[in-house]
Order: sequence, then structure tokens, then C-alpha cells
Amino acid sequence: MKIRDITRRAGRSLKNAKARTLLTSLAIGVGAFTITLALAAGEGGRQYAQDIITSNTDVRELYVQPKMDSGMDPTKPREYVEGPSMQFGGGFSQKMLSEKDISTLRELDNVTQVTPIYNASALYITRAGEKKFQAGLEPHNSAIKDEVLAGDVKDIANDEVILPSAFAEVLNVSPDAAIGQVIDVVMANTATGEQQVFPLKVSAVVKSSALSAVGSTTLRASRDTVADMYTFSMRGTPLESAYIGALVLANKERDVEGVKESIEKKGYVAQTAEDLMGFLFQFINVLMGILIGFGALAVLTSVFGIINTQYISVLERTQQIGLMKALGMRRRDVGRLFKLEAAWIGFLGGALGSVLALAGGAAANPWIRDVLTLGENTNLLLFQPWMFAVVIIGLMLVSVGAGILPARKAAKLDPIEALRTE
Amino acid sequence: MIEVKSLTKVYGKKHNVFTALDDVSFEVPTGASVAIIGKSGSGKSTLMHIMSGLDRPNEGEVVVNGENILELKQKAIDKFRATKMSFIFQSFFVQANETCFDNVSLPLEIAKVPIGERRKRVTKALEAVELGDKLKQKAKNLSGGQKQRLAIARAIVNEPEIIFADEPTGNLDSVTGEKVEDILFSYNKKNGVTLIIVTHDPDLAQKCDMQINIKDGKIESIQYAKNKKAAPRPSRRVVS
Repeated sequence: MKIRDITRRAGRSLKNAKARTLLTSLAIGVGAFTITLALAAGEGGRQYAQDIITSNTDVRELYVQPKMDSGMDPTKPREYVEGPSMQFGGGFSQKMLSEKDISTLRELDNVTQVTPIYNASALYITRAGEKKFQAGLEPHNSAIKDEVLAGDVKDIANDEVILPSAFAEVLNVSPDAAIGQVIDVVMANTATGEQQVFPLKVSAVVKSSALSAVGSTTLRASRDTVADMYTFSMRGTPLESAYIGALVLANKERDVEGVKESIEKKGYVAQTAEDLMGFLFQFINVLMGILIGFGALAVLTSVFGIINTQYISVLERTQQIGLMKALGMRRRDVGRLFKLEAAWIGFLGGALGSVLALAGGAAANPWIRDVLTLGENTNLLLFQPWMFAVVIIGLMLVSVGAGILPARKAAKLDPIEALRTE
Repeated sequence: MIEVKSLTKVYGKKHNVFTALDDVSFEVPTGASVAIIGKSGSGKSTLMHIMSGLDRPNEGEVVVNGENILELKQKAIDKFRATKMSFIFQSFFVQANETCFDNVSLPLEIAKVPIGERRKRVTKALEAVELGDKLKQKAKNLSGGQKQRLAIARAIVNEPEIIFADEPTGNLDSVTGEKVEDILFSYNKKNGVTLIIVTHDPDLAQKCDMQINIKDGKIESIQYAKNKKAAPRPSRRVVS
């Protein structure tokens, strides 16, 4: 018998037992629903994490720190390493990078730029006639994505500043009106207490983003300006010209891994943006794994349902099987008939479950967005065509597997015995 | 030509031995109509099952056109049944939920006949049993006589050489039974198909060229119909 004819007959006998087929498919559909949602949540989560990474970091950037005695055991003393370090008291210190280290990094291949981490914290910032606020300052990197409310973030001059919208609000100015306004950034020297005012013009206002880790409390200025501020605040202290780390910018995204290797060869610790955010992906994968596990459990349960249904079907159609075998149908084809019926059940269940998941996801996405305040256009459940293909084909295979035992029973049926049944 | 040579079939073991067939031999010329008669339990159904290759005897041969079908492999026997034999049963065994067309098309699907050819032959077979207007009807909507005619259409659609009929009129009243008999015999005569009927109805057996009486697994007698010599009819024509 041809596969096409067997498939057609398999479909027809399922149609003749509609309620039973539907109920069995529903059982497997629950598994399909859960697995599809798990895959969608994983995809959405990864996408979301990717968004977080691009709004906080430049993928070409590596965070470099000096290598330290990394013994975390608090009962053992750590070895002293030469070079500047920040003392925390209690025997703890943080090794820092010196200017020499910075120039070593600059000389590496495929490195465009090395920016020391200027840990610049303003004494306060203010606008004429307004209250004073605490703020940090960091160099602007145009590769990091922003939601710009006013102005332009592409280039920044040395006397300009990019303001998060939260600051515009407390400094009593609308984003549009803020452009060109002067913000006074007041730095204090750590050694002498001497203060210096850096007046900066607002060049852009960006949205304080939920995705951004620091964006809401940090103003961005040009690299040189931030460097000046840091140098001023550290002048005369032992930490002058010492940095807790540096950002190394690789030429291209694909150079990042190579640069990381050569930095580590020089005796530093380097982390790529992906390393830094890797835990996010791991977290998402674990969550997805758990959800898929639940789905698999549901599928496992439905496997017994399919076996049961198919056994009953074989019993019910003993006479039909006998007839087909008497008419010369091969054992293999009789087996295939029942396996294909199981495959149909798997297909129906898979299709039903994934369509329900798609509908459920479309309904749940806006709600999730509201509850978690994720910002517009962020869908935590992202559906891709390959998911449906994987779920449906996978479940068809599982169903065929479940159908093997009943199909074998059907194939082994003695036609004489079968035709005696009346 | 079907030659049945010393068939013996035993069921059970040791103390519970039951001999269903005991050294049964006879010959059936091609195109003959044969009645195998006997009471229930006489072994007539077992004989039919062995002759059609569904069952295997402990000893003996069934030689069809010079070939011992009991020596064939399962695959070859299945093919033999799909192309050269067919069956009609007392309780019809038509698939109630399927249309007449799908019921009749089953043997052709099993024999891997292409779909276009299938349509032609199914229509022709249904017309031959006067069910040409019921093509799309579900089999469950047919009367008993119509169901058996549907079964006959299914039996003749693959243009077999041998038709086995197991009590074909057993579940029918005499009028419809007669009609079914007429269809069977006229097909047998017209197309030279060997017809083997298993029955306990002497009236039906009378109409056959040859009657094989079986009792307790042994042939009691073989009678040939008067003025009807079971002549071979080698020429086979398709259903008109």
C-alpha cells in the first residue's frame, strides 16, 4: 500500500472517532502549549537581555582590570602586588591600573581606543536658580543605544553634556527647552576640598530608561571633560593617575575575542560585554529549561493517553484489520496505518497547542509589559516560525513512538482470529 | 487449477489434540464453482483458510497453477492474495463509516493500483453489482443485500482468479440471497473465475459444478453436477 493511501485512511479513521481524537490531541496539546510558550519566553527573554546589553554597553568594549590575588577565602591573607591600589580598610584593597598599564593596552593590536574608568562623581550639579543634586559622570559612547527625547547624541563637544530626562524634570526644564541650557557640575578635590565649577551646555536629553543600569543618575560628557574632572578631584592624592579599570574598544565586533586573549596574555583580567551580561542569558536559559521540563512532563503523560487510545482503536477495529490482512495488506503497512494515526494525533495536538500558545502570547504580552513596565515594543513572549515547526514535528515523532506498541499489536493480529470476531 | 494435496491440520497439543483436517486431497479446475459443505466444526472454514494462504497446515500442499502457495514467503503470499484472490464473508465486513467507493477501493490500494485506474475500476465493479448510484453513500446506509453486493464489488474489483465466499448468503433472506447468488454465479461463468463457496446450505451447493462434502475433517464425498462438466475456462474477461 502506498504511504499516501495509508495516510488518507489513517486520517479518515480518526475522523470517524472525532471526540476520542480531539481529547487525545488535547492532552498532547497541553504539552505543546507549554513548550511553545517556554520557547517564546526564552526567545523574548534573550531579545530583552540583548536590548539591555546594547543600551548599556558597546559590544566592542572590554572591561579590563588588573589581575589580583583572587583568593576569596577570608581566612587566608592575600599576597601584595606592586602598584597603586585603593584601600578599603580591614586589609582589603583594590589594585588599580597605572598610566603605564593604560599605554600597554593602547599598544595592543585591533584596539581603537582605551578609556580609563574615570570614577568621576560630582559634589553636586545644578542649574541656575534650582536645587542641587548628586550625580555621576561618565564618558559618552555613541555606540550605546539611547532613546533621545531632544537634541543629538552622535557627537559631543568638550563643553557639552547629555542629560537623562529625570534630571531635566528635577531641574525644572522640559526636554526641548533644556537644549542649550547650562548645567553647573561642581567637583571637589579629595585632598584639599577645593571646588571647581564645570559649566556644560545640554546637547541632548535622553530618556531615563528602565533598561539602563546607570543612565538615570549619570550625566554623560565628552571623554576629555570627564578625564579633566577626575584628574581635578584626584590631584594630590595617591590615586592620581590610577584607575580601577579601563574600557578597551576593539576595532570590530569580531576582534573582541582576540583582543580579550591578548589582554589576558599581558596579565590583566578582561571581560567582554557578553561576559558581563552572560549571567542574564544563563538565567533565562534555566527558566526556559524549567518550563520546557513541565511541558515535557505533560507530553509524557499524553504519551500514555495515545498508547491507550490506540490500543482501544486496535481492539475496536480487529475485524477491519483482519479484512485488510486477508486482502493481502502487508504487516508493515498495517503497522504503518496505526503509526500514522498516532502521527496525526501528534500533529493535531501540536498544532492546537502552538496556536493556543500564540493566541495566549498575543493576549498576555501587553499585560506583561504593563506589569513589569518594560517599555513599549518589548514583548517578553516572542514567537518564531521555527518554534512551531520544532514543536509540531517533535510531537509527531513522540506520538509515532507512542503508537509503536499498539501498531505492533495490530500488525501481529492473526487475520483468521480477527475475522471470527463478529 | 487448484490442487489440494493431503492437507492435515491439527490443533492443540498432546492430550487435547483436535484434528481439523485429516489427509484432504482434491482438484479444482480453473473456472469451476465449488461448494465445500459440511456442518459447523467439520473443518470447512479451516480448509478455506489454508487454501487462501491465511492459515498453514501441518502437512500437505496447495498448488495453484503449478505453484505451491504454502511455500511462498509472507510477502509473496500477501501479494498473491492482493492480486489473485478475494473474499466474501457471511457478515459482509464492509466498513460502515466509509463510502461505497472507499470500501471497494481498498483492495486496489493494497495492490498499489494508481488512483486514476482505481476510479475507473471501482465504478465498473459497483455497476456490475447494481450499486453504481451509491458511489458516495456511506456503507452503513445500505440494506443487508446491498452490503453483500458491495462486498462482491470489493471482491471482483481486483479481477481475481479465485473468489472465496464464506457463507455468502447466511445472513440474508431467501430473496436477497438468491440475487447475491445470481450475481456470483453469473460472474463466475462470464469471467471464468474459480468460485469456492463454503456453506452448509444444500440448495446453494446444488448450484455449483462441484460439491465437496466434509465431515470431521475428512472428505466424505465429491459430487459433480449432472450435465455440467466442470470444464476449465481459461479465457478471462473483465467485468462488463
